[in-house]
Amino acid sequence: MPRSLRRLTSGVEGLDSILGGGLVEGSTYIVQGHPGSGKTILANQVAFHRAAGGDSALYVTLLAESHERLFQFLSTMDFYDPAQVGSRLNYVSAFQTMQEEGLDGVVRLLRREIPRQKASLLILDGLLNAREKAATTLDVKTFIAALQGHVAFASCTALLLTSSNFDDGSGEYTMVDGVLELREEAFGARAVRCLRVRKSRGSAALTGTHQCEITSRGMVTYPRLEALLAQPSVPDQPSEARTTSGVETLDRLLGGGLPVGSITLLTGPSGTGKTSYGLQFLAQSPPDEPALHFGFYETPARLERKAQALGMDLSPLLNAGRLHILWQAPTANLLDGLGQRLLETVRRHGVKRLFLDSFAGFTRAAVDPNRLTEFFTALINELRARGVTVLATCEPYSLHGPQVTLSPPEIGSMVDNLLLVRFAERNAQFLRQLLIIKVRDSAFDPLPREFIITRQGIQLAEAPSGAVKALAGMAVSGDLPL
Amino acid sequence: MTTILVVDDEFLIADLLATELEDQGYRVLQAHHGKKALEILAHERPALIVTDFMMPLMNGLEMAQAIKSQPQYRDLPIILLSGAQGAIARRYPELFAAVYDKPIELWRLSQAIRALIGPARLAGEGG
Repeated sequence: MPRSLRRLTSGVEGLDSILGGGLVEGSTYIVQGHPGSGKTILANQVAFHRAAGGDSALYVTLLAESHERLFQFLSTMDFYDPAQVGSRLNYVSAFQTMQEEGLDGVVRLLRREIPRQKASLLILDGLLNAREKAATTLDVKTFIAALQGHVAFASCTALLLTSSNFDDGSGEYTMVDGVLELREEAFGARAVRCLRVRKSRGSAALTGTHQCEITSRGMVTYPRLEALLAQPSVPDQPSEARTTSGVETLDRLLGGGLPVGSITLLTGPSGTGKTSYGLQFLAQSPPDEPALHFGFYETPARLERKAQALGMDLSPLLNAGRLHILWQAPTANLLDGLGQRLLETVRRHGVKRLFLDSFAGFTRAAVDPNRLTEFFTALINELRARGVTVLATCEPYSLHGPQVTLSPPEIGSMVDNLLLVRFAERNAQFLRQLLIIKVRDSAFDPLPREFIITRQGIQLAEAPSGAVKALAGMAVSGDLPL
Repeated sequence: MTTILVVDDEFLIADLLATELEDQGYRVLQAHHGKKALEILAHERPALIVTDFMMPLMNGLEMAQAIKSQPQYRDLPIILLSGAQGAIARRYPELFAAVYDKPIELWRLSQAIRALIGPARLAGEGG
C-alpha cells in the first residue's frame, strides 16, 4: 500500500485543500511572487498558525528590511500574536552573515539555528538576495541542496520566499519539492489575486489558478470549485420524494411538488415576480428543511419587507433558525469565494431548501466566463448530492418577446426543472404567465397558468381557455381575432 | 575612549545605532549575534552594551545571562532594545539596566546611555 506523507496544516484558508492536504513535512517549497503579491503575509500566517499549535518556527531574513517594520505591518492582521514572537516564533536576520561569510555562512548558521530553536518550520525570506550574492547559479543550487539536507534531517518544512520568478527549467525549481506562485491578474478595471501550485512533488495538488484575497484574516485562498468538487463531497443518493414548491396549484401541476434534491431554474424578465415566488418557496419550507436565501440584489431588510407585502412574516422563521439570509452585494465578488460561502452555509445549517437569486450574481463575479459551465456543474452536483432542493433565478435578456436567452446557454440542460414566467397581454392588459417547460423524469401539466401576485402570496389561476401565442408572450384568447 | 558594543542581527539598525553613537564620540563595536558579542568581550572591555533580543545562535537574553554570570561584568550595563519581547526582558531587571521597545527615538536612547556611562571621553582621557 502506498505510504501517505505526513502533512502540516498551513492555517491559510483553502490552501490545504489546494495542496492536497497541507504542506508535506520536511519538504522545501519556493513561494514566488512579485513584491506585494502576499508572500510575506502567507508565510507569516503559516508561522503564527504553527506556533499557535505549539510548534516552533524560525523566520530568517536575507533582506535589509527591519523586522520592526514587518511586525508593525503584521500587527494589522488577526493572526498576529506578539506573545509568540521571541518565544515559539523567532525572527533573525542572516543578512550580515551572508555579507561576511557568504552563502556557506548562512547554511552554517541555519544548521545550528534550526535545532537550537527546535524549529519544525523554516521560512527564508529573500532568496533573490541569495541568488544575487551567489557568484554562479551553481552556488545557489549548492545552497539550496545544503539547506534541503538540513531541514529534511530535522523534519523541518521550509518555505523559501522570493520575488524573482524561477522558470520551469531552473535548477532551484528542479530541486525543491514544491513551488507556489502568487500573482495578480488584471481583468478590465479589476485585479484579482491568484495562487497556483507550479510544482508539488509526491502529492496531487489542485491544478490551475485559484483566486485569493488578502483580508484581516490574512491570505484567504479559494480552491477552484470545479477542481475541488470534481466529484461531489458526499455520495449522490437520488430520491423519489417530492417537496412543496411553495404554491399548492403548482405542486399539482408538477405531479406532486418538486423532486427533493432537484434544481429548478425560474426564468423570466425583471418584474415578473421571481424573487416574490422565491420568498414563498422559502416561507413554505417544511420544518425539516432548513432554508437559505442566497441573493445579490435585495438586502435582508428589503427582503423582509417584500415578504410582508405578500402576507408572509419571515421573522419567526429567521428567529427559529429555519431560514437564513445570506446577502452579498454584486460588486467585487470572487466566483469561488461565493461558491465556498454558499456551500459552507449549506453545510453549517444543514440547509435543504435554497433560493438562489440569481445565477447572474455568479456570472458577474466570474472574471473568466469560460469557467462558468464547469463551475455551475460542480456547484449543482454538490447541492444535489447534499439533497438540497434548489430554486434559482435567471433573467433572459429581453423584457418582453418570444426569445428566451439563458446565460450561460448550457444552464438550461444542467438544471432538472425549468419554469418560465413571462409577461403576456390580453385585452390590452399586461399579465404574468407561468409555464412549466421541463421536469426531469416526470410528467407535468404543460398548460400555461396565470401567475398572480397578491397580498396573500403567489397564486396560479387557469389561463384563458384556448389562448394562443402564449409562448411568444403575446397570448390572446382564441376566440378573439388575431 | 569610551567603547559601546552594539549587538543586533539587523544590519540597518546596527548601522544606524553605530553611526549615531560614533557621532557622539563613542567608539562602537558591532556583533550580529550574542555568540559574536561574547567573542568580542574576550578581548575588549566596553563601557556598555546595547543589544537586540531576537538574534541567531544566541539571543539577547541568553547573552545577558552568560555575561552577568561572570563576576567581572556585574557592573557592565546592558540596554535591551526589543520589539515584541520587551515584556519577557522586563522579567529580568537584574540583567538589564534598561529595556526599550522598538521603535525608539535615538535621542532618547542617547540620553539613557549618557545617564548610565556619561558622555564620550576622548582617547587619552582615560577610562
